[in-house]
Amino acid sequence: MRRILLCIALVFAVGLLAPWPPPQAPRAQGTDVYLNVTGGGTRKLNIAVPDFTVVAGNDTAGLGKQLATIAGSDLTFTNLFSVVAATGTIPANNPTALRQSWADFAAAGAHAGVHGLLALRGDRVETEMRLYDLTTSDQRLIATRKFELPAAQARRLAHKVADEIVLQFTGEAGVADTKLAYVVGPLGSKEIQMADYDGNGALSVTRNGSINLSPVWSPDARSLAFTSFMKGYPDLYRAFPFERRPEQTLAAFIGINSSPSWSPDGRTVAMTLSKDGNPEIYVLTIANGTMRRLTRHAGIDTEPTWSPTGQQIAFISDRNGSPGLYVMDTEGSNIRQLTSGGFHTQPRWSPKGDTIVYTSRQGTHDLWAINPDGSNPRRLTTGPGDNQGATWAPNGRHLAFQSNRNGRWQIYTMLADGSEQNPVTRGGGEATSPSWSPRLP
Amino acid sequence: MATSRRAQMMLVSLMVVGVAMVGCAKRPATTTAAAAPAPSGVTETTASRAPEPTPAPSTAAPSGAGTAQPSAPAGGAATAPATRPDVKTFTSVKDLNDIHFDFDKYDIRAGDAKILDANAQWLKSNPNHLLLIEGHTDERGTNEYNLALGERRAKSAMNYLVAQGVQASRITIISYGEERPLCTEQTEACWARNRRDHFLVKPR
Repeated sequence: MRRILLCIALVFAVGLLAPWPPPQAPRAQGTDVYLNVTGGGTRKLNIAVPDFTVVAGNDTAGLGKQLATIAGSDLTFTNLFSVVAATGTIPANNPTALRQSWADFAAAGAHAGVHGLLALRGDRVETEMRLYDLTTSDQRLIATRKFELPAAQARRLAHKVADEIVLQFTGEAGVADTKLAYVVGPLGSKEIQMADYDGNGALSVTRNGSINLSPVWSPDARSLAFTSFMKGYPDLYRAFPFERRPEQTLAAFIGINSSPSWSPDGRTVAMTLSKDGNPEIYVLTIANGTMRRLTRHAGIDTEPTWSPTGQQIAFISDRNGSPGLYVMDTEGSNIRQLTSGGFHTQPRWSPKGDTIVYTSRQGTHDLWAINPDGSNPRRLTTGPGDNQGATWAPNGRHLAFQSNRNGRWQIYTMLADGSEQNPVTRGGGEATSPSWSPRLP
Repeated sequence: MATSRRAQMMLVSLMVVGVAMVGCAKRPATTTAAAAPAPSGVTETTASRAPEPTPAPSTAAPSGAGTAQPSAPAGGAATAPATRPDVKTFTSVKDLNDIHFDFDKYDIRAGDAKILDANAQWLKSNPNHLLLIEGHTDERGTNEYNLALGERRAKSAMNYLVAQGVQASRITIISYGEERPLCTEQTEACWARNRRDHFLVKPR
């Protein structure tokens, strides 16, 4: 039985916060919290997210409504909140109307309400969010925070508001202001794209007409390591999708150069090279190009994934006949076998360190999770179709993966226990190999 | 810090069992709805796919300070050519036949050894040709693992041919993993065709 007991304790922290522009409050430390999420299975917090109120500029594009909708969608995605249906826009500078609106929302079941104030200033957009506790008769202000971004990135304002709300209630920011990178295209012509975590705003990362595979975000969310045949052979590169900067070659040795995995400090990349005869795992130090070999075995060793402490690496080896999951210390010593028998690939260590998710083949492919000590292997997906290639959200609560359940490969997300599976991409083509970025800087 | 955050705690404890999802409101219809404006200031970056600086030797990395610069291959790679020829310059010839593999295997099957013997014979009779061995897998298994598996299949054939007297310095191997199947139906017959080594040559 995989149902986990859950206890959500909600503690509203009340601060005496100055209004616009508020000073930056120190982020949750110590006692100012929360909603303490200790497991899955939930009762949700009902939150009202009325349309953002325009306080400066002319909102011809209807951004105030869009941002509220996006923030609401982000909060719903967390599975911690239920968004209470909105009842129109709250007028600016009208405390009486605001109080009445919150009273109405509270009567409709809302525990909290967020009021967004939107200022459109040419090519910049700023938003102040004000978060209220609606369970108290005085509708206390819990927190305020202001964000400013280029108008072209306005969507991120809603993501940042949602992430801040999650922070206020749980002590850890949400993951809405993140990107997914993934591979698109038919066989023989695969390119890397990225989009918001919810699939919106897809952009090309590579356009080289070759085969590009296995994008993996660096820990600073500024670059992607990936495998590409752009020069004929499978080599490893690094792209900088937010900068005008050419790809950097990470490894182009004879044989395969593949399966990149960033160390948590971003200084090194573990990878698979076959330059010394067969696929082995190496670690490249980016700054000086030194390459350290970790595995020495006649079989296949590939798909390294770092533990969040940087002390261990899980990987796949067929040294016992078929591919299985192993863990070693970062020096390559102390190799332990986690799975026996079967056909297991694609290990991804959780950012919280307590779980490794992987793909298990039993006719079709499904996602499983296991503890790093090899205990408690558990199934996360049960079809339909194949479900594989998981990637963790930076908070360790969500996974993105690829599934062909509807005929074509598309990217889906789910909670870490396998529940709440929903599509992210809905394009006409194929989308595979997702990598979930860290929170954007 | 300027803010004083008086933490007055109010415990609203929502203790819950399993699936009791209270007030599960309708999901706002945003997730992929089209209304959203184009995000992020990164739009211009796709224009940045400028040609890379040409790397000097094919195994070394380009770029400036702070970039990784893998050194030349070492150790066991000594049996392979020191550089990587352009794969596009190789062509198939009818005298060199594919060999096939069992699922998740890279050992040479008995029947396929005869094919490799014939291939070795042709290569010895045509000493002015260089050989490219492509290793392929079927679509099952997963991407990165299949890249490694294809590599092992190509390497198996290379080792066999070298044992038959073909000079290792004439042979280059490449793995395409599952990326270049011959057929795409989801049947064992199709998968079996895709699990192959393919042989191509070019004059020296």
